[in-house]
Amino acid sequence: MSEKEKKANSSAMKVLRQERSETIAKARAAVKEQSGVIKGIREALTPAPKTIPEIAEAVSMETEQVLQYISTLKRYGIVGEGAKDGDYFKYELTC
Amino acid sequence: MKSKRDFQFDAIVIGGGIAGLQSALDLGDQGYTVAVVDKDATIGGKMIRLSKVFPTLDCASCITTPKMSSAAHHDNITLFTYCTLDNLKRESPDRVVAQLTQKPRYVDPDKCIGCRKCEYDCPVYVPDDEQGGFNMRKAIYIPFSNAIPQIALLDAENCALCGKCAKVCPTDAVDYFMKPEAITLTASTAVLATGFELSPLDQKPQYGLGRLQNVVSSMQMERLLAPHGPYNRVLRPSDGREPDSIAYVQCAGSRDKSLGIPYCSRVCCMYAIKQAMLLSGALPLADITIYYMDIRAFGKGYEQFYQNAKAMGIEFVKAKVAQISQADDQKVMLRYEDQEGSGGVMERDHDLVILSLGMVPQWNPEGICSVGCGQDGFIKPAIPKIAPTVTDLEGVFTAGVASGPKDIVDTITEAGAAAMEAANYLKALNGSTA
Ligand SMILES: Cc1cc2nc3c(=O)[nH]c(=O)nc-3n(C[C@H](O)[C@H](O)[C@H](O)COP(=O)(O)OP(=O)(O)OC[C@H]3O[C@@H](n4cnc5c(N)ncnc54)[C@H](O)[C@@H]3O)c2cc1C
Repeated sequence: MSEKEKKANSSAMKVLRQERSETIAKARAAVKEQSGVIKGIREALTPAPKTIPEIAEAVSMETEQVLQYISTLKRYGIVGEGAKDGDYFKYELTC
Repeated sequence: MKSKRDFQFDAIVIGGGIAGLQSALDLGDQGYTVAVVDKDATIGGKMIRLSKVFPTLDCASCITTPKMSSAAHHDNITLFTYCTLDNLKRESPDRVVAQLTQKPRYVDPDKCIGCRKCEYDCPVYVPDDEQGGFNMRKAIYIPFSNAIPQIALLDAENCALCGKCAKVCPTDAVDYFMKPEAITLTASTAVLATGFELSPLDQKPQYGLGRLQNVVSSMQMERLLAPHGPYNRVLRPSDGREPDSIAYVQCAGSRDKSLGIPYCSRVCCMYAIKQAMLLSGALPLADITIYYMDIRAFGKGYEQFYQNAKAMGIEFVKAKVAQISQADDQKVMLRYEDQEGSGGVMERDHDLVILSLGMVPQWNPEGICSVGCGQDGFIKPAIPKIAPTVTDLEGVFTAGVASGPKDIVDTITEAGAAAMEAANYLKALNGSTA
């Protein structure tokens, strides 16, 4: 991309950011919240694998939300399923 | 919006579910050129989202993916995915015109190679409807692993416009400035194969208005059972516990005048039995109960399928469930009148409850196309007994659940019939074969 094109692109992005300011603010707030939760889950799983109720207790969240996060992190290869513990499975960090 | 792209085909198929794909393939194989229009970013309809299919228990994806792929690679078929149908009009006996809006994917379909680098790097997580909302996707994503086309799309409503996806894309495919684009399709005939959606989970106060934990829809259960499902196994969504006791509530969204859905959705008995069988394979120790008004095992081999389920130990309780409520320990309590055995009002707790919801039309043609619909909202066949795919609009045919609830076998048969009617119409217009 030439310098001129780069400049034109960056000013067009500025306009787009203004147009979408509301949705951008909402998405940024979501990223902030989600990053905090994921950090908490990572910390909870660092010492040892845990079940959903154990993780929920560690991060002070509802078990339903924790399961949604864990299955998402599993989907993106960050968490894996470990051994069974009673009626629950344990989850562990993979990276 | 001025139409930027005009295309000419022999036939237009609205809906890229199994009905639309079968009609398109049958027409394409006869040498006719076909446009397949779908509102979704992928073709495949409901069938590609199912786990396995009754009565054979074949893997749904194993049957659907080859059809999707054949359509995508067919010389005579062109796919128009992620398009809204704004208007479909018969202008003359040999001219039907469809006006579409191509919704912006914000990803150039000619450049995207489906590598998903953008998806992995995107920092925003969004509940994924494709997985029943049980897990999350990213703001830029490919709908699912066997979606066709394998092209990413950006959900602008949830995009932080951080620029990461554009930075990591190896082919510079991300285009934040994409705008909706008008498309005009002209053909001589059309097939309407717009399918169905489930009646809403939250419509019945007696069933908790969709707010109860561990009460899910039958489509959500398909995802829980699918190999690429949200948990890769069946777990209780409230806390990840393996369920010990699972119940199906039949006729939860149909055969119910209070919901405005008095008709039978035809497939719910069979899909509940199928799911129950799959569950007893996945969770051999779990108790599985189906609460039913009567079992409608209408097709070839279906009665045997039902008898097999009974023999496998699945419990069938003849009862209409009156109320569903939350019980202790995240369980779900069903209150019902037992119509067999000792009778009377009974209460029973389960770990997971599936509502067998009804089928309602996915498309309302009002204001878009003058095709006639019945009181139930489904497209009305003009000659239901001898030519069920013929509509009241000349040279416009219908196939699959667009004209009323049916299973895959009947859908495919009807799609073939619709293609034949459309081919005959084209032949009559041309005075010769294509
Ligand atoms: C939970 C569940 C389990 C089932 N299990 C089985 C089973 O095991 N065996 C079996 O035989 N049957 C089963 N069925 C029934 C089966 O899903 C249907 O028979 C089949 O999917 C019907 O296909 P269709 O193409 O008619 O509709 P759909 O699959 O609904 O496809 C319609 C397509 O049209 C598109 N569309 C809709 N409106 C528009 C529009 N306005 N413009 C453009 N595109 C549009 C949609 O995006 C979709 O791609 C099950 C159904 C359910 C709900």
